[in-house]
Amino acid sequence: MIQTALQIAISLSIIGFLYQLFSFTRKNKTFENRKWLANGLNIIPFFLNTFLQTKLFSAGKIRWMIHFLVASGFIYLVLIHALDDVTSFYFFQYYQPTVDPFQFLRNLAGGFVLAGCLGFLYRRVTLFKVLYKRKIHLKGLVSILLILLLILSGFLLEAVKIISEPVFMEMVEEYSNLEDDTDLEDLKIYWEKHYNVVFDDTLIITKEKLALGKDLNEEYCIACHSPVKSAFMSNSISRALKKTSVWLNRYRADNFVYYIHYFLSLLILVTLPFSRLFHIFLIPFASLEKNFKKELLSLKKGYINTATLYACTNCGFCSDVCSVLPNYLVTKNIHTLPHSKIEAFKQLMHHSPFEPAALFLLQSGNEDCTCCHKCTDICPSGIDLQNLWVVLEQKLALKGFQNNYTYIDSKSLKEWTGLAPEKEKIPSSRKVTTNLADNVDSFENCIQCTICSNVCPIVEYDLVGNDFTPHQVLNLLRLGNKHLAAGTCMVWNCLTCFSCQENCPQGIRVADIMLELRNNGNLRADAMKIENFTNKKAD
Amino acid sequence: MKFAYFPGCKIPFELEEYGRSFKAIMKKLGVDLIDLPFNCCGYPSRSKSLEISVLSSIRNLALAQKNGLDIITPCKCCFGQFKHAIYFWNNHIDLRIKIDAILKKEGLAWTGETQIKHLLSFLHDDLGLRELKQKITRPFSNKKIAVQYGCHALRPFSVTGFDDPHAPRIFEALVNITGFKIVEWSKSTECCGNPIYETNKKLSLKILESKLKAASETGAAYICNACTHCQIQYNVMDMEQNLKKFNIIPVLFTQILGISMGLSRKDLGININL
Repeated sequence: MIQTALQIAISLSIIGFLYQLFSFTRKNKTFENRKWLANGLNIIPFFLNTFLQTKLFSAGKIRWMIHFLVASGFIYLVLIHALDDVTSFYFFQYYQPTVDPFQFLRNLAGGFVLAGCLGFLYRRVTLFKVLYKRKIHLKGLVSILLILLLILSGFLLEAVKIISEPVFMEMVEEYSNLEDDTDLEDLKIYWEKHYNVVFDDTLIITKEKLALGKDLNEEYCIACHSPVKSAFMSNSISRALKKTSVWLNRYRADNFVYYIHYFLSLLILVTLPFSRLFHIFLIPFASLEKNFKKELLSLKKGYINTATLYACTNCGFCSDVCSVLPNYLVTKNIHTLPHSKIEAFKQLMHHSPFEPAALFLLQSGNEDCTCCHKCTDICPSGIDLQNLWVVLEQKLALKGFQNNYTYIDSKSLKEWTGLAPEKEKIPSSRKVTTNLADNVDSFENCIQCTICSNVCPIVEYDLVGNDFTPHQVLNLLRLGNKHLAAGTCMVWNCLTCFSCQENCPQGIRVADIMLELRNNGNLRADAMKIENFTNKKAD
Repeated sequence: MKFAYFPGCKIPFELEEYGRSFKAIMKKLGVDLIDLPFNCCGYPSRSKSLEISVLSSIRNLALAQKNGLDIITPCKCCFGQFKHAIYFWNNHIDLRIKIDAILKKEGLAWTGETQIKHLLSFLHDDLGLRELKQKITRPFSNKKIAVQYGCHALRPFSVTGFDDPHAPRIFEALVNITGFKIVEWSKSTECCGNPIYETNKKLSLKILESKLKAASETGAAYICNACTHCQIQYNVMDMEQNLKKFNIIPVLFTQILGISMGLSRKDLGININL
């Protein structure tokens, strides 16, 4: 039965693996600009990041240590313990699970994984002590809990086996030819003392019997079974279980725990392609390709490779270093930060229904990105994040979510000024302005001398494309038409070179007014976009 | 001397050579640069929201104050934004209250102690031309160069206090000691066009082209920048293959200073013919 279960699990796992590969390729095809290895191979960093997790090491030493505990322990357990039929028995002639150093090392590795998993859980509990909103990802949590259960069941299995009389009797039958009952008693006495087996019948310990038992132990047992002291984790559990041993032994708890342990490992194997553990394969894949080149940045050309997105382990390093964290602190738009954008990106690719309002927030957050590359530099998974944000911008523009500059450009004057005032909901977080455009004192001294327009580079080079000149914008303010002023090309093309302000004979803060109008225009455009979604919904 | 080094967002990835050459000359001048976990200066967000842009700057200043350091930046847009933020923080009580409240949540506070310095103002005002001149070992000769002042440090003077906005001289005085021959050109204080590159590329490049034309008419072989965004803008032009038409090469001030100080081309990240 166990053999069949193993075969089924392996086949399911392979099917899952192939399914994932297929779905990544299919998702890749939805992008026009897909291209694998567009930037070349990254050989040495690939090996360093795969086997030593160097990127994680440079991002956070403690996190690397905890990860290393789990990774090293788990790899040891898989290779030497789980696959011992094909590895350990083949490579080590004296190998037995119960012989030292393997017994000790198995406990040590289990201890490593256990400690590391507890570390993972601890971080998830204290995760919320950061400045931005984080959530616990179910995927990660499930994987951690599964591994934790697997390790605990392993320890429990060994502990139950240590104290088990039936297991002892089976071993006696299989490996010794004791016929004498007194010999058996001597061995029992020795094993009770040094191997912590709990026997039903009371044994009277004497020095001679112990010595005889030791001789028998050396004759039959010691070659394959080291004293349980070296199984330091399981041994301490077995001590705690001693009181319930009668009950445990009667119902053969060791068999029961064995099945749990075995099926948990099969469960992990089957769910591997769909769980967080899949990052074992995806991170090397993501690290293999060189990052986005800076030349592509000004061309606004990114290449997407879907599988690398799933290498994300939600570690949050990207958002910890994100340059535009203050933008989030003011707007509270979580899509400003990379850890949230990558999740949204994945959702976008699933073609799952996405609220227009959510897409609007995504566009608004993504345009704050300053392309500082910090997230990409720190990403322990080696995901080319900078590239993603460029692609995301293109993708959203195709869906009709463009920046406010293009949006206002596409609106007619009537549409732009026609927004009912009550619709213009200004989020209180963005209400603070320089208060110049509403304050008559700031522009009433304008004498329309046109010096501002004469020094303006925009006016000089774009006489045809520009509608108003700076002094005309100021005149619009004097006419009380702030909204019209906020929609002029002049305001949106302004270079903020401050020539106008510096040269104004009346000391009017012309460029500051332009910037304030642009702030207002941004709010107005956002309000109009939101109104459009709600209208569409109502239809 | 010790400073918190503020590279801004563009230097680490897009203009890595500026950061490298800046660090190299600072090392040569005996200035210690400390890296702090700074965020963006807020310049890119200033058309979006005043509050974001001021908060970004003040948060950096508060971080520097916590570490007891002044900030030095090689970027003029960052420098200008810092100065603007300080101006708004001082003059708009509403804004200051909001920002202080946000900073308080993460245990930060700014009380106005941190100074913000641009590379040029540091070299000119703090270090002094005489001191700098002693470090020059391999001055250039007979090469004509035009300087690009960069608007955001220069204007408005009442906020930035960098140099005379109508007749600036700091940059020229500094380039002078490297041995270059400075040309007079009409557009040295005009904008390079980078602020609208993202939104109105055509106009942005038109502005740049007219500047290059004006510079090439004076016979300059190089154009010298001390601002991240200006240099990026000229580099973009380079990529568009238009620069060859004017036969002019954009160079970073830190690179020509570094060479005249005897630093190696590799330390300065130079891959052009200087």
